[in-house]
Amino acid sequence: MAEPLYRANVLVCGGTGCTASGSHAVMDAMRAELGRRGLDVEVRLVQTGCRGFCAMGPVMIIYPEGIFYCQVRADDVPQIVEETLVKGRIVERLTYKEPEEHKAVPYYHQIPFYEKQLRIALRNCGLIDPENIEEYIARGGYQALAKVLNSMTPEDVVEEVKASGLRGRGGAGFLTGLKWQFTQKAPGDIKYVVCNADEGDPGAFMDRSIIEGDPHSLIEGMLICAYAVGAREGYIYCRAEYPLAIKRLKIAIAQAEEYGFLGDNILGTNFSFHLHIKEGAGAFVCGEETALLASIEGRRGEPRPRPPFPAVSGLWGKPTNINNVKSYANIPQIIVNGAQWFASIGTEKSPGTAIFALTGKVNNTGLVEVPMGITLGEIIFDIGGGVPNGKKFKAVQTGGPLGGCITAEHLNVPVDFDSLKEVGAVMGSGGMIVVDEDTCMVEFAKFFLTFAQAESCGKCVPCRVGGKRMLEVLTRITEGKGTMKDIETIKEIAEGMEAGSLCALGQLTPGPVMSTLRYFMDEYIAHIEDKKCPAGQCKELTIARCLNACPAGVDVPAYIALTEQGRYAEALAIHRERNPFALVCGRVCPAFCESKCRRGDIDEPIAIRQIKRFMADQEMKNPWTPPRIGTPKSDKVAVVGAGPAGLTAALRLAQMGYPVTIFEALPVAGGMMAVGIPDYRLPRDVLNIEIENILRAGVEIRYNQRLGRDFTIDDLMRQGYKAVVLAIGAHKSRRLGIEGEDKEGVMPGVEFLREMNLGRAPDLTGKRVVVVGGGNVAIDAARSALRLGASEVNVVYRRTRAEMPAYEDEIRAAEEEGVIFHYLVNPMRIVGDGKVTGVELVHQTLGEFDRTGRRRPIPVEGSEFIMEADVVIPAIGQQTDLSWLKEDGIQTNRDSTFVVDKAFATTRAGVFAIGDAALGPASVIQAVAQGNLVAQAVDAYLHTGKATKPEYNPPYHFPELTYNMEEYVNARRPKMPELEPAERRRTFDEVELGLSEQAAREECRRCLRCDLEWLEVTGRNKAAVMAAQQKTHQPA
Amino acid sequence: MATVNITINGQKITAQTGQTILQAARAAGVDIPTLCEHPALSAWGGCRMCLVEVAKQRTLQPACTFPVSEGLEVWTESEKVVKTRKFVLELLFSERNHYCMYCQMSGDCELQDLAYRYQLDHWTYNRTYEPKPVDATRSYFIYEPNRCILCRRCVRACSEIAANHTLGLKFRGANSMIIADHDVPFGESTCVECGTCLQVCPTGALIDRKSAYRYRHKGDVQKVATTCMQCSVGCAVEAVTHDNMVIRVEGAWHQGPSGGLLCVDGRFRPLYDTRARITSPMVRRNGALQPASWDEALQLVAGKLKAGGALGVAASCTTNEALRAFAGLFAKAGGRAGRAEPALPAIPGARPAQVADVASADLIVVAGADPLEQNRVVGYFAKRAFDKGARLVLIGDSPNGMAAYAHSVFAEDEADKAAALAAGAEKPVVIYGVGTSDKVRKALGALADKALFLGLEPGPNGRGALQAGLTPVSAGSAAVVFLLAGDAPEVRTVELAGFLNGGFTVVQASRQSALTERADVVLPAPIWAEQNGHVTNLEGKELVVQAAVQMPAGVRSEVEVLQALAGLL
Repeated sequence: MAEPLYRANVLVCGGTGCTASGSHAVMDAMRAELGRRGLDVEVRLVQTGCRGFCAMGPVMIIYPEGIFYCQVRADDVPQIVEETLVKGRIVERLTYKEPEEHKAVPYYHQIPFYEKQLRIALRNCGLIDPENIEEYIARGGYQALAKVLNSMTPEDVVEEVKASGLRGRGGAGFLTGLKWQFTQKAPGDIKYVVCNADEGDPGAFMDRSIIEGDPHSLIEGMLICAYAVGAREGYIYCRAEYPLAIKRLKIAIAQAEEYGFLGDNILGTNFSFHLHIKEGAGAFVCGEETALLASIEGRRGEPRPRPPFPAVSGLWGKPTNINNVKSYANIPQIIVNGAQWFASIGTEKSPGTAIFALTGKVNNTGLVEVPMGITLGEIIFDIGGGVPNGKKFKAVQTGGPLGGCITAEHLNVPVDFDSLKEVGAVMGSGGMIVVDEDTCMVEFAKFFLTFAQAESCGKCVPCRVGGKRMLEVLTRITEGKGTMKDIETIKEIAEGMEAGSLCALGQLTPGPVMSTLRYFMDEYIAHIEDKKCPAGQCKELTIARCLNACPAGVDVPAYIALTEQGRYAEALAIHRERNPFALVCGRVCPAFCESKCRRGDIDEPIAIRQIKRFMADQEMKNPWTPPRIGTPKSDKVAVVGAGPAGLTAALRLAQMGYPVTIFEALPVAGGMMAVGIPDYRLPRDVLNIEIENILRAGVEIRYNQRLGRDFTIDDLMRQGYKAVVLAIGAHKSRRLGIEGEDKEGVMPGVEFLREMNLGRAPDLTGKRVVVVGGGNVAIDAARSALRLGASEVNVVYRRTRAEMPAYEDEIRAAEEEGVIFHYLVNPMRIVGDGKVTGVELVHQTLGEFDRTGRRRPIPVEGSEFIMEADVVIPAIGQQTDLSWLKEDGIQTNRDSTFVVDKAFATTRAGVFAIGDAALGPASVIQAVAQGNLVAQAVDAYLHTGKATKPEYNPPYHFPELTYNMEEYVNARRPKMPELEPAERRRTFDEVELGLSEQAAREECRRCLRCDLEWLEVTGRNKAAVMAAQQKTHQPA
Repeated sequence: MATVNITINGQKITAQTGQTILQAARAAGVDIPTLCEHPALSAWGGCRMCLVEVAKQRTLQPACTFPVSEGLEVWTESEKVVKTRKFVLELLFSERNHYCMYCQMSGDCELQDLAYRYQLDHWTYNRTYEPKPVDATRSYFIYEPNRCILCRRCVRACSEIAANHTLGLKFRGANSMIIADHDVPFGESTCVECGTCLQVCPTGALIDRKSAYRYRHKGDVQKVATTCMQCSVGCAVEAVTHDNMVIRVEGAWHQGPSGGLLCVDGRFRPLYDTRARITSPMVRRNGALQPASWDEALQLVAGKLKAGGALGVAASCTTNEALRAFAGLFAKAGGRAGRAEPALPAIPGARPAQVADVASADLIVVAGADPLEQNRVVGYFAKRAFDKGARLVLIGDSPNGMAAYAHSVFAEDEADKAAALAAGAEKPVVIYGVGTSDKVRKALGALADKALFLGLEPGPNGRGALQAGLTPVSAGSAAVVFLLAGDAPEVRTVELAGFLNGGFTVVQASRQSALTERADVVLPAPIWAEQNGHVTNLEGKELVVQAAVQMPAGVRSEVEVLQALAGLL
């Protein structure tokens, strides 16, 4: 029967990823629907190989238009047939949505994921039916073979491949043509051609996709190689875990034999070639060529030392050429298009394309083929769509379990064999695993090491024993039992393994560990010295991720659980053990706990901050007298600055029994809590309740005492203070450094807010205000300016909204209130005659990636424009005012913070520094955390004369579980009731109204109680943990 | 052979093309430490002790596999090399139970020697191994996996030398374990107890039951090169002695017809013979054997021989010298003397094969013999050939240990077909024994031009007996029967028993047996390890037998006794 002509082709991806997400059901539904409507004679249905965009699977392309549908389900099929195939309309809900603005991108070639790709090895994948040789032929298949057999000598072929510069795609990057030449020149009548399809890297599936999607390109490549090197027989070594690949290979080989591409006297020449499949049992080491050959020969898959190389003595001792699937798949294109064409793609030393399996914490997971030399950042952010859920990009592991990780500072590194090696990573087989801030790099390294050492064949000692020994050390570290000596041990083992192992498996096994040591030593130190896993992933060290994430170590699960039970006073007591500012933090905390909440992995994080506010509000009327936990002491301590850091330090020292005096420059206490944060976020009377609580511990505050103006550190020492804690904050705005900054009408952000909060607000009625910056101060200033009567408030920011450092909720609230945001603009100068009349701005475009992993804005020449303004508020950051600092012995950093050691000790004995003045601008909770810790350090100093690093060792409580978690599986996070935008934009009344008791207690029940799981998983006994706690923490 | 110029540690050396760095270094007197390497085994490159620094190589390279080439520059003890070797040693010591003081091989252990060489007095790493059960199911040796360093010498020996493929590995990486067959106890495995694995083991992982716990330092034992006298192959051995006792028998690598390969009979049997030694002449008095003086016994025997017509039968288990003395004695006494074993049929025009030829044959014909039973080492050599693809043609349908390897089996009537098949091969070897029928013999004759022939002499020194003029004899009605049993194992004494005819019986033997029980005079003889002299093996080579230990008082050498008897005639 003659094949009918079709008016449309429906291509359904049958790759492994789409198969897993249900493409077979879509295929079946489509077949049924087309049949039911009688369309099967005019619409052709094709199951293709992998199209690469696995994250969006199952995917479907409808030609001739090239309409791209993603995440298609079987019940979408009738609509697709009706709308697209019958009426010619696009079903918009099934199209790809561009993530930033959710715009529909209906056509395949317009999708950013594909836009930057260049497909050579994957050119047919997803476009043809891999089980039909005619489709391959239709795409120019076997033309290269015909060209080679009829017009080229074997030497010509080798020269052509050499000239193309193709380097082995298996990972090592050896020149393919040169390798062929070795085999060609090796003496011997019998030679073999072998394809390494033992793709064993976790997460890598490019070889598989080529075999599944375009098996003939591999066969043709091998045929050309066989002709060039003089082989009559070949083997494809494919892992048995790839049943679909093997099935399609078998079909393809049978078809190639039927068409006379394989067998004797191919295409009428005297060239003969027979191809066999050898199924591997899945040992990772069999990807090593000599181990692979041993396995084909039926022996245990173990490598042997080279030389001799397989080109001289390979399969059964005969000269053998081994290449990876991707290398062979490139060959037909090189032959057809010429070496020059290939060499013109990519970089000079790494021509052509690279295929990556992009996985991990990246939006567009899948398979991508890109020209060599593209930057990592382009792959991860442009093609990969960046990191999901607004998390921060941390690192990318390339080269699989034997590769290395690269960090944000390398996002501009061009991806090619040599550049990656320079930064400690490898191209490898092309796995690319993206990790975000929630990944523990020690655990990450341990994961790969666990894999690699388990896959050691055991032949050579360094790999067999070294890998195991290194894993033991690493495990010890992740369990909090490591010592700094362990780092040296790891390095020693790594050096020995690299120098002494037989094959690349052993030599590269230490790679992930060494590269994480290189870039993330701080995380190792945190595990070893602080017994803390910063990312909250190491089971032994992480009781609960929220608690772990809290800088002050507040026992979040405990106060949530007690709030759930209505035991607010007890909940608050637990909170106060680590943080005396529950009312404040219930309102303004960035809530690091919420960003790590495990419930957030499922739906949304627990509304911890809102619960905290509710809990604290219930006790607002009950004054708290902080308990004394030490005997009275005679050594006096001075704290300079009554911000959150200073107040907390004073409180803890007073609780320990020290007489504490705070010297405050302003007439009010609270620091930035009082003069930085506007009332609509944190009402002053609420703050004062907590300050008064602290004073009840016996802390004295002397107001209007500015260090350097009213007193010096020497004065304090003379007055008998044995220790001084500097907590002077960062109260000075950074200057823009542009022309016109001193004109009337320019009000630096921090100073503007301070004046306002001290009751000296400028009248902005009817004024046009421009705020420069994207941080919280900028937003606070903008929203305050509105409330002070400004007619128009514009915020200008040099990057995009996604990169704004201000809290998302604040930005949203500002937008609601009518603040106008302008992104990708930067001020050039402030214009006006003495008085501000406007700001000259220039448009920005995003260039290379900077060290933080964000694209660096660069001005667009000639795009300058003037934005009219009466008031300009620069808010691009703040710093500590050090103009008072005349005293010797206290060193500062370039960013105007104090030089402190791990005990917060400055370079002057007895003087400590915490808070913004030590950290740089941070949050209340970070200041509180340091206040807690510095008290320990001061205490130790006053006892021993030496400042010792305080221990991060917060108390845990483990209250009973009183609700049935399963009933709250579908419960949703409540929305915080707020004043209406129209109502709030002209008053300083608190915007957030607080949760109702019912809502707050219900919300507590969404908590998954990770702390209890920790007890169970780590096999700990609750009573024993509590008893141990009792020893280190006296009862509050 | 072509040569290349290389530099080792700055010293210019001329090496042979095809040599490895290790071979070239050794030839030049440069010592490179090794562990998994063994001169009788293929290079493995696994232990990494022989790592050396090679110019232009990114990583260190194993000297045992790296081929020399013109201009190669090598450093064998550079800082990096020594550091890595120590690292490897530390890892090995940390891997399992390598506490030398608890090990019976302490003092004779290659791992320990290396630790001394590199002054390893501690190791940094964890010792976290899980003790593995000891396997003591084998008769002659014990497998102690906790002392194993996974060098695979045993595995390679089992497959490359013995061609038995019993030993292998299970699991991989740090979990790797040496196993027998599909992980069965050694005693239930296909092991043939040739003991090659035992001999190559560098540590205490394979423990010899006899020599274990007998000494604490390798200087406490002596080794004497001699020849095995258990069968006509005549393997070169080293008798390891301590305190005038043979405590172990080892194959002598690259020596003798088998190059160091032994079988259970040669390695273990001599040490496990539990029959009581005869240390004094004995004479039957009043129906019971009683100790007698040499003088009395010799006078008595000489008196009987003088009468003439005595029958002398030698078990071909002794030296050429003794056999000649035996023949001489009977020539003088006018009796009839011969050997106990039947004659090996002659194949006209056959060119003799060496044992080594068997391993390189591409086709092997076996007729009238079961090498795996009679001359096991020949059988193992045949199995080596099979591993390389050689075919086995078996003639005859009686049960044969080789049957499992047969490519084709022909009945004796079809022997000519077998010959025709063999004629098509390039390097055929015929192994034939005393069971070869005339018909088969004739058929094989057709291969005379094509094949090499290895005749399996039935007696350990059957060729020596023939050379001494001792041809096969048949039992008869002689009044006096003199049986020269020597150190014949029990099975061969049974063979000799067929010559007992009720007449006056003299038995010269080293141990008590059914024969001596029936003798009228028993003359003590030395055991194998106490012998000096020569034997002629099935290849026709005369091989030296050297005493490793001294005879007990009261025992005299066979030659001395036989010559003394001749003197008394």
